[in-house]
Amino acid sequence: MLAFATLGPQTTDLLPLGKAHLRETTQDAARGLETFLAEVERKAFRIAQIALRHEADALDAVQDAMMQLAHRYSARPPEEWKPLFYRILENRIRDMQRRRMVRQRVMSWMPWRAEDEEEAPDPISQAADAAPGPAAQLESEQTMQALEQALTQLPGRQREAFLLRNIEGLDVAETAAAMKCSQGSVKTHYFRAVQALRSKLGDLAT
Amino acid sequence: MKSSMDEPSEFEQRARQLLRDSVERLPAETRSRLTRARYAALSSRPSWQHSLARRWAPAGVGALAAAVFAVVFIMMPGSESPALNPLSSAAPEDLEMLADSDAVQLGGDQDVDYDFYEWAVSEAKGAGAPSVGT
Repeated sequence: MLAFATLGPQTTDLLPLGKAHLRETTQDAARGLETFLAEVERKAFRIAQIALRHEADALDAVQDAMMQLAHRYSARPPEEWKPLFYRILENRIRDMQRRRMVRQRVMSWMPWRAEDEEEAPDPISQAADAAPGPAAQLESEQTMQALEQALTQLPGRQREAFLLRNIEGLDVAETAAAMKCSQGSVKTHYFRAVQALRSKLGDLAT
Repeated sequence: MKSSMDEPSEFEQRARQLLRDSVERLPAETRSRLTRARYAALSSRPSWQHSLARRWAPAGVGALAAAVFAVVFIMMPGSESPALNPLSSAAPEDLEMLADSDAVQLGGDQDVDYDFYEWAVSEAKGAGAPSVGT
């Protein structure tokens, strides 16, 4: 007690200062995190949508990844957020794919089918916002559908490397961190993905 | 036909363009749901009070553990409380006297002259009787 009493008034002044500083730092981090999430959310959604081929599941996966990042890793330096976020997202996608496979296996043993469980996509909500022109848009959409179809047929790691590189624009090191593998593996997966896609799609005519 | 990650080929550039266009053309409802998901994630984030608590929690736990240890040590059955310990209540002079071996010879029986004490007792008993020599 005596020791605390002898600390003097200057020490007690530091405590509210530290609290205010911590509050400001935390608010800055929250703003930074919001900016980061706003920047990645659409790209993350497309990656999840292509992998899962289901809009609601893709939204769930992205929301879970956002929540985990915000709850567990928001105190980490902002430069670590992107690889961490995509690693969480990929884990979530894999979990959902596994669960879906198990569900399909179980349902195949049932006398009835649960086809009605799958929601049909709402055509209004699926309508694109900005359109360059009907003919160009149609062509672009058809090419995109073909690309998406080919991407779903790729092995998971190849698709992951291709999408992280081409949608998110991660470099080799960031992709390796997100995929939790070596940079050499990323290069191999990516190269094989490009080879496989090109053999299926040709040169993706413009 | 290059397929390096550093220098993207035409195919890769075209694929990239298509994918990024598809991101830009996401339906408004999807974008709105993503925004709601973002706010939900941000609201689940630990508050600054929680951060403060988390920062000081180890120090608090350490202080509490030290206090508990001190209390347990004092209340232990084997430990001697000051009231029950005769040495602790003794005055410093008493302890000094006990420590002084020259002042009192406790247990040094070999130096005691028992013949002297026997003679002294007999003298005391026979004080009223006539002396042998006289």
